[in-house]
Amino acid sequence: MDRRAIFFFGAAVVCLVLVPLSDGYAWVSTTVAVVYVLLGAASWLDARSRRRL
Amino acid sequence: MELSVVLVIAVALGFDYVNGFHDAANSIATVVSTRVLSPRVAVLWAAFFNFAAFVVFGDAVATTIAKDVVVQDVLSIGVIFAGLTGAIVWDLITFWFGLPTSSSHALVGGIAGAAVAKAGFSVLVVEGLRKIGVFIILSPLIGLAAGLIITLVIFWVFHRNRNVERLNRGFRTGQLISAAAFSLGHGANDAQKTMGIILALLIASGHAASDASTPLWVVLAAHTAIGLGTLTGGWRIVKTMGSKITRLQPVGGVAAETGAAITLFATSAAGIPVSTTHTITGAIVGVGAARRLSAVRWGVAGRVVWAWILTIPGAFTISWLTFQVVDLFS
Repeated sequence: MDRRAIFFFGAAVVCLVLVPLSDGYAWVSTTVAVVYVLLGAASWLDARSRRRL
Repeated sequence: MELSVVLVIAVALGFDYVNGFHDAANSIATVVSTRVLSPRVAVLWAAFFNFAAFVVFGDAVATTIAKDVVVQDVLSIGVIFAGLTGAIVWDLITFWFGLPTSSSHALVGGIAGAAVAKAGFSVLVVEGLRKIGVFIILSPLIGLAAGLIITLVIFWVFHRNRNVERLNRGFRTGQLISAAAFSLGHGANDAQKTMGIILALLIASGHAASDASTPLWVVLAAHTAIGLGTLTGGWRIVKTMGSKITRLQPVGGVAAETGAAITLFATSAAGIPVSTTHTITGAIVGVGAARRLSAVRWGVAGRVVWAWILTIPGAFTISWLTFQVVDLFS
């Protein structure tokens, strides 16, 4: 799997772990986690399409 | 006002000054490394916007530092002095080794260490420290995502433009604006930490009510000190930030500074004391990662992460020891 995608998914997991600790700012952790999931998916698709070329 | 209070205010402003020259690199590293401005002009540019920040932002971060790190009753002149000393000594140690650590977390660790030395761990405000702790991790991740997304948007918008020379000129001008925005965010978030310490000192020494807001002279003094610190700049850290993490072009500089500035504006408005160093480092890594992960020099980034991990315990320990000495003489 694309290393960059793994990095982004890892960052998303870190943000999700922080959600219960974030009190009034849980929405920030959640939003950042969602952004990293999207970045991870986009990076994985990008690497996949490059391999096919 | 007693001489001891005046002296500790001077030490607080000294911390702000050290913060300015320690973190000046964050504001101007990318502008200098892409040769948009000479180091001398870049420092003047950043110092001006550091100072101007007081017009734009309130004092929410100052209030968090004054009231959400340790319980207010434990704050005394000795505790604040020891806390500041720990933070300054830690900043100077990391400055010497060229590590872009966080002055903000040194301050939090320092105040916590001195307060614990005085009255034990029960004086720590767990909720406030948890909020700060969560954003120690979140702020570089937000900066990284913002830097990366802005880079991708810029590439997408300009990918048909074949006049690279003209485009680069445009982004060199754009960097002046993004560096100014980042310096504004730096002035807002970091100067407010000193404002918070001075406010806590004024409350502890009976010169302000416990619900008082930050006096204007404190606001002006803190922003002046950080601006003067920036004027004297820290070139060892400029080198690490500007070229060792990833090589930056003007377009990358714009993306990194804009991403970091957005993060700092939002956190300053929300009263969250984040590290400008963490934020810009994350954003620079994000710009590098937009190309490919191997564009980021992870060895240097890892060394920076270790310095982050050690900052709060390091400043905590120095302040704890300093308070023991102060206590002997008081």
